[in-house]
Amino acid sequence: MKKTLIGLLALTLMFSCKNAEDKNENAENEKQELNVYTHRHYESDQDLFKQFEEETGIKVNVINASADELIQKMRMEGEQSPADVLITVDAGRLERAKSSDLLQAVSSDILEETIPSHLKDADNYWFGLTKRARVIAYAKDRVDENELSTYEDLASDKWNDKLLIRSSGNIYNQSLMASIIVHNGEEEAKKWAEAVVENMARAPKGNDRDQVKAVVAGEGDLAVVNTYYIGKLLNSEDPEEVKAGESIELFFPNQEGRGTHINVSGAGVAKHAPNKENAVKFIEFLISEEAQKIFAHSNYEYPVNEDVAPATLLQEWGEFKEDTLNLSTLGENNKKAVMLFDEAGWK
Amino acid sequence: MAIVLFIALPVIAIALKLLEGPGETWQHLVNNLLVDYIGNSFFLIFACSVLVLILGVGSAWLVARFEFPLRKQLEWLLILPLAIPSYIVAYAYAGVFDYGGSLELILRGLNLEFIRIDIMNKFGLAFVLSISLFPYVYVSSRAFFLNQAGNLLEASTMLGVGEFKSFFRLMLPLARPAIIAGLILVLMEVLNDYGAAQYFGVNTFTTGIFRAWFSLEEPETAVYLSALLIFIVFALILFEKWQRKHIQVTGNKASGRTHRKLGTKPMQWLKFILVLIPVMLGFFIPVGQLMYWAFLTAEKVFDFDFILLSLQSFGIALVTSMVTVLFATLLIYFAKWSSINGIKSISRLGILGYAIPGAVVAIGIMIPTLAFDKWFINTMDSVFGVKTGFLFNGTLVALVYAYCVRFLAVAYNPIESTALKVSNSIPDSSKMLGVGNFKTFFKIEFPLIKTGILSAVILVFIDVLKELPLTLILKPFHINTLAVKAFEYASDEMVMEAAIPSLFIIFTATIPVIFLNRLLIKE
Repeated sequence: MKKTLIGLLALTLMFSCKNAEDKNENAENEKQELNVYTHRHYESDQDLFKQFEEETGIKVNVINASADELIQKMRMEGEQSPADVLITVDAGRLERAKSSDLLQAVSSDILEETIPSHLKDADNYWFGLTKRARVIAYAKDRVDENELSTYEDLASDKWNDKLLIRSSGNIYNQSLMASIIVHNGEEEAKKWAEAVVENMARAPKGNDRDQVKAVVAGEGDLAVVNTYYIGKLLNSEDPEEVKAGESIELFFPNQEGRGTHINVSGAGVAKHAPNKENAVKFIEFLISEEAQKIFAHSNYEYPVNEDVAPATLLQEWGEFKEDTLNLSTLGENNKKAVMLFDEAGWK
Repeated sequence: MAIVLFIALPVIAIALKLLEGPGETWQHLVNNLLVDYIGNSFFLIFACSVLVLILGVGSAWLVARFEFPLRKQLEWLLILPLAIPSYIVAYAYAGVFDYGGSLELILRGLNLEFIRIDIMNKFGLAFVLSISLFPYVYVSSRAFFLNQAGNLLEASTMLGVGEFKSFFRLMLPLARPAIIAGLILVLMEVLNDYGAAQYFGVNTFTTGIFRAWFSLEEPETAVYLSALLIFIVFALILFEKWQRKHIQVTGNKASGRTHRKLGTKPMQWLKFILVLIPVMLGFFIPVGQLMYWAFLTAEKVFDFDFILLSLQSFGIALVTSMVTVLFATLLIYFAKWSSINGIKSISRLGILGYAIPGAVVAIGIMIPTLAFDKWFINTMDSVFGVKTGFLFNGTLVALVYAYCVRFLAVAYNPIESTALKVSNSIPDSSKMLGVGNFKTFFKIEFPLIKTGILSAVILVFIDVLKELPLTLILKPFHINTLAVKAFEYASDEMVMEAAIPSLFIIFTATIPVIFLNRLLIKE
């Protein structure tokens, strides 16, 4: 037993020393490394990282987890955090990282010129990389397009027991709610949420794809979903999913008014980034035309770089007016949104 | 004592946070959500207990007591549901019952009407969790039925007591400690489940912890909820202790191999079908669904990197399970040898880690290790002028440590239950003859509890392979696991692509499961 213990200790030490060595090496070749904390884990992203490595010789290390967990991790690591870049799938979490003092401002002409101002932080703490719209998918045979108009209209009686939407734990719903709080005020937002809960065809469950399938199965007539999930359904390996994608039609709400609610995947440079220069270079690379093409074509998201055209499928859906509300406000109102959801009984 | 401290450190770190009081949203939570959390969690505890007991004890009894076609194969197939992460089972069943799902395709093929069964609710969740967790109860109760009950059964048969009566009046009460030990593991997993509950839209304590922490941005409130959860688990553990007091199973009160009864042919086939049901539900149906998805996505997912990833996963799980079992054994035996009263209860604290959600354990690990790392870096810098990196954080050490804390209970139970069966008189006489504790342990006790230890290694191995939230937070750069890979796909709504990594977890876990089975039978 003693021997085993000693052996264990030795093993622990070996691991630790090896790690310390790694770190020392890192210190010597500081320019050659980049540590990315990311919530995105698409194959396309892996390809992009590889391409960046090949072009610059900078080695990209990746840690995947949910944005919340990554932010928590960065908070705890403090000044010693190895993180250089934080990538999330929504703007709200980036705003939270900023307000928790985890990011730093970046001055880069390329980033400032390429990214439209409502898709990045006003003080340049974070930048949007790709965007998607939260739209209404409806059953062609049961819903007349003329009946659809705005997010606010989803609270109307005519949709009683016909609406499908996922749970309030989902960040995309939280961001939509935050935008409604900003546009209509807290009280109206709460009333809206209560009415939407009344209209739900079933208790919220599953993901966006499941909502679409439920429409096709006839459980409800319309579902609130992100655009790229429809792209994925239509390009799924499962023929049944393709069929589901084909049986619904998309509607972009609020076209007469403020525009359709959008959100971004985005990136910011960590406050204590050991490789700050590489980090900036990396984000610049991600919004370059070649990288944006990969983003746009493999994952059915809209590019933030306006020189790059969206994938053909997205072009078929047509152009739409987007809500130009600065996305920082989504993060600022996120907690309020969650609490209103709870009070409205939105599971 | 040091080990208890080592293992309990994260729990203590979280307990200290409790003193800071709950956050502002606590009241909001109590007003709007707490009733739901408590109601659903207790529903799950109740429903899963019933289902798991029927499935686990029932199948254990059938395979231990009777002979029927394919019994040997079914014996190890019954353990296999453990190999599938429960959130993957949830996805697979949703895929079966979905619109355009497998069931509909099959029915359509047979020209039958499709009746939509909605599985995504709390009843479905109870079903999915039970079907993937019942092997914990199966393993512990079968070991008892196989090895402990023979003589008693013979006696009761000779006295003319019927099969049913001797099962309910004799075997069940005797097997209770073993059954309940397994059940407690199941219930801890049930309370801990995040992925399946979240996907099915059921609010439980654990989904509440994640919500309070991340959506409401209040770690303090999340810690408060965790404390409530720990309280529930502690109550369960005390309940089990109290149970054990009533029935002491030590020494040779019950022993001897069970001899299997043959029965008539139709009865044999009936038993075959009864045992086949949990195997089908817990293993073949979800695996079948996964295989279909894997077939659709193979080209996209499978490559050389993927094999490397599998090896990495395998290695981490192997090292961790051995370390964890070592700690569990030390904990049990130091408590046994120690003359200080109360140390036994304290040693139980060590297994609390299992009750805490993985994400919270991860944070509990980071608090003390980061403090140490920062102190170490600063000292090295100021005293020796040497720049060093983290000793623990972002290394395998922190990850293995966290697994240890989380899964100690999984190792603790099978070892303890075999250790309890070793009557104290044997090591006592050895010690009276002047042999030390350690030597006595290796010469006498170790061979006696070997099965328990190996079962523990295997169970922890499988759990580590499947573990998710903690791995996500603590895993070092460059290292990835199959569970993380599967989750990445699933969380991006690419459930079909998650099938191949899931199948790899299942097949990697299958080998030790078969091994475990051999071991239990041999003993």
